[in-house]
Amino acid sequence: MHERLSFFVKRDSPIHRLNPMTKAVMALSLVLIAFLSPWYWTPLALFLFVILPLSLVARVAREYWNFILKVILPTLIILFIMQAFFLPGESRSIFEVFGLEITELSARLAFRNVMRILVMISSFTILLLTTHPSELMSDLSRRGLPGQFAYVVISSLQIIPQMQAKAQTIISAQRSRGLDTQSSFLRRVGGILPLVGPLVFGSLVEVEERAIAIEARGFTSTRPKTFLREIQDTSFDRALRWALIACVILTLILRIWLS
Amino acid sequence: MKIEIKDLYFTYPTGVEALRGISLTVESGEQVAIVGQNGAGKTTLVKHLNGLLLPTRGQVKIGGWDTTKYPVAKLASRVGYVFQNPDEQLFSRNVGMEVAFGPKNLGFDAERVEALVNDALVLTQLADKTETNPYDLSATWRKMVALASILSMDTDILIFDEPTTGQDAVNVARIAHVIAELRKRGKTVITITHDIDFCAENFERVIAMSQGKILLDGRTNDVLGREEILASTYVDPPQLTRLGKRLGFKNTVRNQEEFLNALKK
Repeated sequence: MHERLSFFVKRDSPIHRLNPMTKAVMALSLVLIAFLSPWYWTPLALFLFVILPLSLVARVAREYWNFILKVILPTLIILFIMQAFFLPGESRSIFEVFGLEITELSARLAFRNVMRILVMISSFTILLLTTHPSELMSDLSRRGLPGQFAYVVISSLQIIPQMQAKAQTIISAQRSRGLDTQSSFLRRVGGILPLVGPLVFGSLVEVEERAIAIEARGFTSTRPKTFLREIQDTSFDRALRWALIACVILTLILRIWLS
Repeated sequence: MKIEIKDLYFTYPTGVEALRGISLTVESGEQVAIVGQNGAGKTTLVKHLNGLLLPTRGQVKIGGWDTTKYPVAKLASRVGYVFQNPDEQLFSRNVGMEVAFGPKNLGFDAERVEALVNDALVLTQLADKTETNPYDLSATWRKMVALASILSMDTDILIFDEPTTGQDAVNVARIAHVIAELRKRGKTVITITHDIDFCAENFERVIAMSQGKILLDGRTNDVLGREEILASTYVDPPQLTRLGKRLGFKNTVRNQEEFLNALKK
């Protein structure tokens, strides 16, 4: 009944075993390289030769494609059409309708933008598929991210499925009292208050209880904290991070140098 | 109004098989308690009685109405369901309006709504709190408001999901009083409970469930006497029942009166 909000898929793979920070740096580097690279084909190459192998190595290819094909592909197609029509490009026209035209240049630019966005979404999708949000947050707080920030991220991920479940119970309770949630629109509008009221009251109470509960466990204590979950950070992780950062810097230099 | 359940199976979308072949008849005016370990399928079963859940297989009929053929809002005129947590249904500015919500939804005229609301408030001893905001009341009284808001719908069948959880002895007695009054009026009451003393003292029929099936179904004394079978669904008979057994009473006893009578023999 509880819908999962996090993308995380629990598997055993070399990517899952990487330090969350490494994966975050990897995702960010891929995005930066895709957007900064001076070469036209870089985003496509990243997609074909980095993202696709990564999804296979991480053993999340099925989930990855599921998401890309169902959610992202339709968006990208629309984006491509819009951009191809509206990006300025003085060159040979290849398609024309209602006075709008797609030129060779606008199609090329639109394709590059779409590929960049595909790389961006893909790299973060793989990050989220292979990294549990609480693992990422506890690694970040170990590195000095304020606990309050991690709490905001984690609790909002948890609260939404909980509220969905709660809303479901409230709807059941009010339907049992004869509230009509299935017929005409007007009757349903009238039925909003009995549903929203308990949800809002209940959630406020829950937020307070949650705050008391974590405070009772020393949330705002200023002493150095220890971590329940040991997160591996190997020398390979560190090397990989530096290598990725080097790649980004190299791309940046090439970009400035070549322009 | 008769409840007929025939060979009911229910599987949640997650794949959990919560009910596995339940057949059950409850006659008009019967008072039934359902007991059993957590996850035995008690709540899943009663949610079928007003159509909140629909059978994966099998059939549920309420006074001849097949629950798959009527919307919940319609079945609400026959089956009242008091949820476990009152905070999941209270929304009105005051107790009176809250209790009037159900009967108004059922389309009763103003006069009848008022009469039903007053009756429900008196029965739950809330008559002096009509103007109070439900959220200014203590948790025990909020539970009574939730109870009153279903009583006022004047349904022939009432379902209580764990009415005594977290309640003090005084309020448990109030709830027992409501159930006794409903018996006098000939209403069918089905109660889910973990409170075995409450069950022993207020119900004539007990159903014990385990893993989506009915383990035992019969007169309270007969069911409570089957200590070994009840243990398999983590239900302990009341202490007096167990003591009676240890003392070698021929018949199962379930309350002080029966215990003392058996002792005097």
